[in-house]
This record gives sequence, structure tokens and C-alpha cells, in this order.
Amino acid sequence: MQTNSLLELSQISKGFFGIPVLEQVTLSVAPGQSLGLVGENGAGKSTLMNILGGNIQPDSGSMNWTGSAYRPHWPRDAEAAGIAFIHQELNLFPNLNVAENIFLADFPCRGFWIRRLEMFRRTKELLGQVGLAVSPQTPVVNLTAGEKQLVEIAKALHRQPKLLILDEPTTSLSEREIVHLFKVLRALQQQGMAMIYISHVLQHVQQLCSTVAVLRDGSIVGHGPVEHFSPGQLVALMVGRELEQHFPRIEHQPTDRLLLRAEALSQPGVIENVSLAVHEHEVIGIAGLMGSGRTEMARILFGLDSCSSGRVSVYRAGEMIEITKLPVSKRVQVGMALLTESRRDDGLCMSASIDENLGVVAGARFTVRGVLNKSLLRSSINRTREAVRLTPTASGRQAVRTLSGGNQQKVVLAKWLLNEPRILILDEPTRGIDVGAKFEIYRLIDELACKGAGIIIISSEIEELIGTCDRIIVMRKGEITNSFDRSHFDREAILNAALHSIEQVPA
Amino acid sequence: MVSRFVHSGYLTLLLCGVYCLAVGTWVPGFFTLENAHNVLLALLPLLVVATGQTVVLMTAGIDLSVTSIIAITSVIGAQLITSDGGPLAENWLATPIAAIAMLCLGVGLGLANGICVAVLKMPAFIATLTSMMFLSGLAIWWTQSEQIYNLPRSFLSIGNQLGSVLLITILLTGSVHFLINRTLFGMRLRAVGHNPLAARTSGVPVSKTIVWAYVLSGFTAALASVLITGQLETGSPVQWENNLLDIVGATVIGGTSLYGGRGSVIWTASGVLLLSLIDSSLNLLSLSHFTIMMIKGAVILLAALLDTLRYRVNEGNH
Amino acid sequence: MEARETIVKLLNQSSLILFAFVFLTFGILADSFLTLQNVRNILIQSSSLGIAATGMTLVLLTAGVDLSLGSIMFVAVAVSGKLLFNDYSLAISIFAALAVGFLLGMLNGLMIVRFRIVAFIATLAMLFAARGFGLWFTNTRAMNMPDEVTQLGATHLLGVPVPILALVGIAGLTQAFLAFTPWGRQLYALGVDPNAARKAGIRVDLILWTVYSVCGGCAAMGGLVALSQTGAVSPSFGSQREFAAIAAAVLGGTSLFGGRGTVFPGTILGAILFQTIENGLVIMNADPYLYPMVVSIIIFLAVLLDTVRNSVVNQLRRRHIRVQLDASQD
Repeated sequence: MQTNSLLELSQISKGFFGIPVLEQVTLSVAPGQSLGLVGENGAGKSTLMNILGGNIQPDSGSMNWTGSAYRPHWPRDAEAAGIAFIHQELNLFPNLNVAENIFLADFPCRGFWIRRLEMFRRTKELLGQVGLAVSPQTPVVNLTAGEKQLVEIAKALHRQPKLLILDEPTTSLSEREIVHLFKVLRALQQQGMAMIYISHVLQHVQQLCSTVAVLRDGSIVGHGPVEHFSPGQLVALMVGRELEQHFPRIEHQPTDRLLLRAEALSQPGVIENVSLAVHEHEVIGIAGLMGSGRTEMARILFGLDSCSSGRVSVYRAGEMIEITKLPVSKRVQVGMALLTESRRDDGLCMSASIDENLGVVAGARFTVRGVLNKSLLRSSINRTREAVRLTPTASGRQAVRTLSGGNQQKVVLAKWLLNEPRILILDEPTRGIDVGAKFEIYRLIDELACKGAGIIIISSEIEELIGTCDRIIVMRKGEITNSFDRSHFDREAILNAALHSIEQVPA
Repeated sequence: MVSRFVHSGYLTLLLCGVYCLAVGTWVPGFFTLENAHNVLLALLPLLVVATGQTVVLMTAGIDLSVTSIIAITSVIGAQLITSDGGPLAENWLATPIAAIAMLCLGVGLGLANGICVAVLKMPAFIATLTSMMFLSGLAIWWTQSEQIYNLPRSFLSIGNQLGSVLLITILLTGSVHFLINRTLFGMRLRAVGHNPLAARTSGVPVSKTIVWAYVLSGFTAALASVLITGQLETGSPVQWENNLLDIVGATVIGGTSLYGGRGSVIWTASGVLLLSLIDSSLNLLSLSHFTIMMIKGAVILLAALLDTLRYRVNEGNH
Repeated sequence: MEARETIVKLLNQSSLILFAFVFLTFGILADSFLTLQNVRNILIQSSSLGIAATGMTLVLLTAGVDLSLGSIMFVAVAVSGKLLFNDYSLAISIFAALAVGFLLGMLNGLMIVRFRIVAFIATLAMLFAARGFGLWFTNTRAMNMPDEVTQLGATHLLGVPVPILALVGIAGLTQAFLAFTPWGRQLYALGVDPNAARKAGIRVDLILWTVYSVCGGCAAMGGLVALSQTGAVSPSFGSQREFAAIAAAVLGGTSLFGGRGTVFPGTILGAILFQTIENGLVIMNADPYLYPMVVSIIIFLAVLLDTVRNSVVNQLRRRHIRVQLDASQD
């Protein structure tokens, strides 16, 4: 677009394990310009930023930075070029003070010694630029989330970048802190700093940016001056794809029999007054942004985290029994299951074999007086492997780590299925897996619901929820804000509710 | 190919064979019945403790207190039955009561270790290190650093007859092998060692599993103490003080990982065999105690290095 | 939340509270405890441990551990003793001891940094290997040092005994490096999260290597100071001093989980506290066989407090989603 661009991306493509994540992305940022980058989770925003930052290399396409070719191989290449990142997760060391965090990699020194006065003086200047009135000697552990965010920006400014990339900087900030952050960012813009601002909060993008680009399924589907797009248009662009026919036909029909009931669950700072009921044959979807409390709610329901008030009960042998105080192992025995958000962290033992992973939940069912009935377990494992259509080429002794993401997810699902759960909570069940595996998982969810299980699906892909659920609940800031019945499913309304756009959607 | 070989539990057995052939040809007296008898008698108690250690290592923990559990149970058991004024001297049930008391004590101490690690969440090595210090201090204080002699013949015969030692060892290792491979506990043990978070999410009672592992380790240490006390015919507060590295080392050389999740009694048995062969050949060469100490330090390091290598190959790190 | 923060604050001050408690207990139980002469003795006796614990503190700050400290002490002192016997000068033998300590520490660093062996296993192996070497080197015989060694220990410079000077010098310098150099500040960062530190551009491996080497050097120096007081190298010299050093550091507020603690005042206070307890036991004529038990109980309590503190802090750090609403909203 502009001839004298600061940064130009042309035809950038990238795929992982054959799944395209970015396709022919072309973008440019002029000096002093602010670009808002919006898109649903999984649209490719973070991959694009990782390419810019030198964390990963594109498969094809080229980048230009201040007129010459730019091919970063390490994060420090990006840093040297003058591109600074502010990540969603802060990278500060809580045991060091503000000044030390800012200068950690390049202290001003005389001989061995840090020139502390010089460091404090420069820190004061930088803090002044971001409008943070704390002493440079304050330990970072004592700062609030908003103050830490400002320290991150000061740290970035210290390297005197030409382009500042902010990834969801407002997720953990209060309104007042956001107002202040924006004041600081506007001042920087006036001084000529170029920015890429990534956010789900469309109002923020509109307040702050001069141009906006919409990313959907790895391609740019809209790009232009921010005035040309209304929030409604942006949402439409973000979800704009046709509902593809890749959801199995829903065969189940919810009944009135209650399986799980949560009453007024609260945990200070995490969730507030969450009530929920799951019925037999029912699939409930939870929509919400990352950090809306949906994962935390699932962990509390499953007993992984504690809650300060509220009750959880499940249906068992003809009556509702309270399980609020029971540990996870007991909840598994009463038929609960949780497929966690991150397979690697708490879903699977990555270096253990497929069979070891599969047997661990349901082992107790195949045990007589402590002794494992291995042949019975093996035949059940084989049956379940077929049911989830796990790749038949993998031997049971193979480490789970060697499988593709889709097959790993099938292993997690299979290990729960072996236990024949009555209540299944699935947190981002299709993240990072290919289309074929996704379809299998949707099919399994429907099958389970047909057999009478109650299912909660947490997902960032609204389309997925619409395709699989009987009811969709929207969470925001740790509270349930909206609820939609299948007959009232509307992608834009749900996304609006989750994004907290200007038009409030009636519940 | 190479990585598969490094991974297999048979590497150590093969090393044993190679070592026997290489050393046996030029160390006089290596291939004699007497030496085989001696090696075996020394090896079996080591195998008993190492079996318990294997279970603890599988949870990604470590039990450094085993030698002092051996020491404290040794002196307490010996004091009960010594004819120099033991309360049970001359009692016809002295031997079984002493043995059971020792085993119970071992279980109790293991339980305490397990609670420190699993419930209080102290790092395993420092928790068991402090209990090592405390228990060995206790054993020395209790006896005022005196050895206890004159134990009844029936008690000694548990530990100094190859037949009974062999029987006890086979019974123990057999049951632990069964426990690891054929029971729910074994399955949970592996899961906890591989990834405690995933294990917890899968409904495994993580703390309980870890506590049991330390209890088992305490039990095996006490059992080994019964054998050793019989073998050496004394209850001593410094019993086996210097064998800590042998126990951890033999387990790790066998292929059980310090990083948890992987372990087998058979591997440990071959590790114990290798270490005992080295030990015996060094003794036959009449090298000094200190040279042996140094060589053992080096062997342990190699084992740890091999384990790190295995782990990194397995995790796909470079 | 408030209560938890108070608990953290209390736990942070636990060493001072313990200190006061121990002093009062012994002061009440033994009359000769709170005399000027005895306090002076305690200070002098603490200097060896204080120096060794300084090195241990550095290692603990990186969330590592050095179990070979006592053995390194022994080898270093044995080497210098042997040199003195063979009529080398005092200066050369002191230098040699420091070099040996540094070298063995470097070897630890090699195993931990280069071969990525878990610190406690690598240094546990070194514990045995180095002691075996030392025993072989000394033929398991005790060596009595020439008088000049103990004279050095009793010398006063500007009215201050040399051991205390050595302690103040080493601890002061180390603390200055920790507080005022990039190396020191980066050390604290890598103790919290080595991967994040590496990402932030810190040369993690180099720092770890220097830390283990310096710890070896400190062990040697601590050994020399102890030698100047006892005048003899016995085969059990330095045995289990690594526990005392860990105890001193942890008592002084250094965390086993890394990234938290100071040499001065923390570890030095811890070392004095530790020595005070030993001294108190001596003055009370306690059974010497009780000492290891008392010491292990102290370590246990210190580590337990550290563990509790660590888990409370981790709970406080749990991410909060719901932000406190403030007046300016809507």
C-alpha cells in the first residue's frame, strides 16, 4: 500500500504437520501507523507474530523491514532490528526490582559494577514515558497487573524500537488501568511509534488503531482504515465463513434427568456465582474468551481447584449426591471426566506408552483385589482404540509423544471412554488437530450423548459449539452472562456476547 | 538403533557378561565357586534395598535415608535379642519378634518420609537427607557408637545362609516385580512418575501413591537390615553407612530413571549384579578402600550420565 | 488474602524469630552463654561455616545444591597440609588449597552444565569420589599442622581476629557481587526460571558454571579457616559440613527453590545461629552424639518453613481473572 513501508509481509504461508495455518498473508505497516489485528482464536494471529519475532520460520513468502529483506532466525534478530513484543503473558522476574527487570540483559556498567544511579535515572525516564509513578527500586512482585504491563512496555521502549507489537495487553487489566494504558500508547503513537495491536476487544482496536486487518483461517479477509468497519462488520468478517458441513448430524435429544448441578460456585478472583445444570443426553457449550474463567470453572467442577462457596452435585444411583468436597479420584469414580486444555501439561504422560496412558483412568475397573486383569484391559483398550479410530499403525508400546496432535487427543478421549463416564467436560477438544480427527471427535461426542452422557464443551470456536451443542452458555470475567438455546443459535450474537461489544445481546 | 539399545534393560546384563569375561581372565580367583558364593551373599541384600529404591525412583523421587534405616533397625533389632541383656534374650520367639519389629520400624520410617514428600511437599532429596542424618545420629546416640554382638543363632541364620537369603530375596523381588507390572498400584506409580499433573487429572491419588512408594522403600531397607545384621553377626549404628551410592547407583545403572516413570526390578537386578562384580573384582585386586570409593563415585556418575542421555533421547531434546 | 500475606511476612522473618528464641533459651539455660567471651567465640567459630555457606547460598539461589562441599573442604585442606609438610610456604599452600577447591567446583559445574546431570546426583557422586581421593591422598592419617597455621588463626589485624576478617571479606564481597553486578542480578533471575532467563538473553550456563566453581572455592576457604582453628586434618575433616552449610543458608532465609536469599545478612546470620546452637549444646554439656540429631531437626524445620512459604507464595501468584472493579468503570 504505502511505498515507504516500515514493515511489509508478502505472501507469507506456514503450515504445521500439513495443516495450513497461514495462507498468503500480505500486510504492511507504515512508520507511525497503528495496525489492529483481529480474528478468532486459531485464526493464525499468534503464528504470524511468532514469524515476525523469529521464533518460527515461514514456509514461503518474504518480509521487508525498513526497505531491506528481513529474515529473523532468533528472537534477538527481531530485537536488533527494532521490533519489540509485549506478550499476553508477562516475562518479568518477581524477585527483581523494576529497574533490574528493564535492564536485565544489558545493565549499564562500570567495570564489574552496575551503575545503579544511571540505571535508576534511565528507568525513571522510561517509567515517565509510560506514566508509571513507582520507584525504580520497587520489587516487581509488589506491582499490580496493570503496573507490570506498563513495566513491560518500559522494558520494550528501553530498546528504542520502531515497531511495538502488543498481544492482548488488556486481558488482566481493570478499566482504569486500560484507560491509562491507552493514554500511554496514544502518546507513543504521537511520537511516531508504529504498532501492531492484537485484541479481541473490538472497541479497543477502534479507539487505538488507524487501520485494521481481519485474519480468518490463516488469510487476511479484510484490511483498511478503521473507519470503514463497524463492529458488526468486523464480527461478520471474523466468523464469515460458511458453516461447512463437517459436523455429524445431531442424533441425541436431551431429557429432564439431571446429571450434574453446580449451584452458585464462587472463588474470589476466579469465578463468581456460577450455576449450571447438565441433563442426560445433553451437550452444553461454553463460549468465552481465553481468561473468561471457563477453564477455571471446569477445573473447579472437576475438583482440581478449590472453590470458596457453592455446591456441586451429580446424579448417581437414583439420587443427587454432593461432591463439592471430594477429591478428583473420587469424582472420577462417580463418572466424571475432564479432557484438559493442554494435552502436554496435564492431559497425557507424553513419554509413557499409549497403553500406559490408556489404562490409567479405568485401571480400577479391571482390577480384582489389586491385581490387574491384563487381558481384559487389553481387549477393552483395543476396542476403545477402534471406537476412537486411533491410527492402527501405532503399537500400544509406542510413546504418546510420537503421535500427531489429533491422535494424542484421541488417546486422551479414549482413556476417559474406557471408564464409561456419565459427565464429560471437554476443554478445547479440537485445538491443534486436523479436520479428520476433529470430525471423529464430534462424532464421538454425539455418540456419547446418545448413550446418555451429559457433556460440557469449552471452545473458542463458536462454529464448533453451534455444530455440536444443545445449549450454549457465554462466560465473561468469571461470570455466566448469556445462555442460548439451540433454536436461538446465532454466531454473531454469541461472539458479541463473548467479546462484550457495544450492543448488548439480550439473554 | 543405538538409542533403542541404550534404552533396553539388557544393556546392563550385556555389560555384566563382558565385564566378567574381561576381568575374569586376568583377576585371579574371580571364576571360583567361593567368589561366586561371596558375590551372591553380598549382592542379595543390596538387591533387596535397591528394589525399594526402584519403586521410589519411579515416582521421580529418591530415598537417601535407606542406609540409616538399615542402621537404626539393625541396632534396635539387635538390642532386643542380644544375650548381653536384651529384653528378649533366651525367649524362643525372639527371632521372629525382632524381625517383625525391625520391619515395622522400617515401614513407619518410610511412612514418615512419604508424608514429608507427598503431603508436606518437601523436595524428596532434602527430606530424605535430613531423615538420613537424623536416623544415623539417633542410631549412634542410642548405642553410644557401640556395636552389638552375641545375637541368637536362629536370627543370624536368616542372613548368613545363602539358601534363606536367596529365598527371601526372590520372594521380595518377585512380589515387587508383580506389584509394578501386574497391579493398579504399579500402573499409578508409573503415571505419577511420568507426569504427576496428568496423573492427578486422571483420578490417580497421587499423594497416596507416593507415600506407599516410600513405605515400601522403608520396608525393603528394614528387610535388608535383617539380612545384613545376620550376615555380619552384629548390630551396628554405622551398618552400611557407605553403601548409599551403591544402592542408588545400581538402580540407575540398571535403567530405572531418576526422572521417574521408568523402572523394573529385573533392570535393577542386573545393575546390582554389575556393581557387585565390579566391587568384587576390585576387592580381589586388593585395591584400597579409597580407590574403590573413587571408582564407585565415577561409576555412579556414568550411570547418571547414561540416564540423562536416555532421558534426553526419549524427550526428543538435543 | 490478607491473612496469607501476613503469613508470608512472618515466614520471611522466621530466621530472626528463631534467632531470638535460641539466644534466649540458651541464655536462660546456661549462665556462661551470654558472656562477651562466649559471644566472641561463637563469632570466631562461625567464620568457617559462614564462608562455606556463602558458596552454598550462591548454588541454592540457582535452585541447585552442592552436596560435595564437605569433601571438597577435606581435599583442599589435605593438599595444603601436604604442601606445608613438604616445606612449601604458607602462601603457596593456601593458594593451592583454593585452586583445588575451585577446580573441583568446576568439575561439578561441568557435570551439571555440560552433561546436564541433576545437581544433587552429580554432587553426591563428587561427595564420595572426592572423599575417597582425599583419604587415599592422606593415607587415612591425621596430619597435625605446624604452629604457624594456628598462629595465623589467632592473629588479629586491627584488633579483629583473622577468621572473622576472612568471613567479612568473603561474605561482603559476595553480597556486593550479588547485589551490584549484572552477574548477581541475573543469578537471581535464573533461579526463578532458567528458561525465561535464557529467553531474556542471560548466559545461564556460564553463570551456573561460575557459581559451582565459586562454591568449591568457598568450601576450600572455609576449610582453611577451620584448619587455622583446629590445627589438624583428620580423615573426617569437613564431613557433613554440606548439611551445616545448607542449614545456615536456609536458616538465613535462602530458598531451596531458588531466586531468594542473601549472603549478608541472611546466610551469615544463619551460620551464626547454627554455630550458636552447637555452642549452646557444648556449654550445656549435651551428649555430643546428640548434635547430628539436633542439626537435622533444625534443617528439617528450616526446609519445612521454606516449603510452606513457597507453596503459599505460589498460591498467591495464581492468576486472577476477575479484576477488582474500580470507581472509574462505567
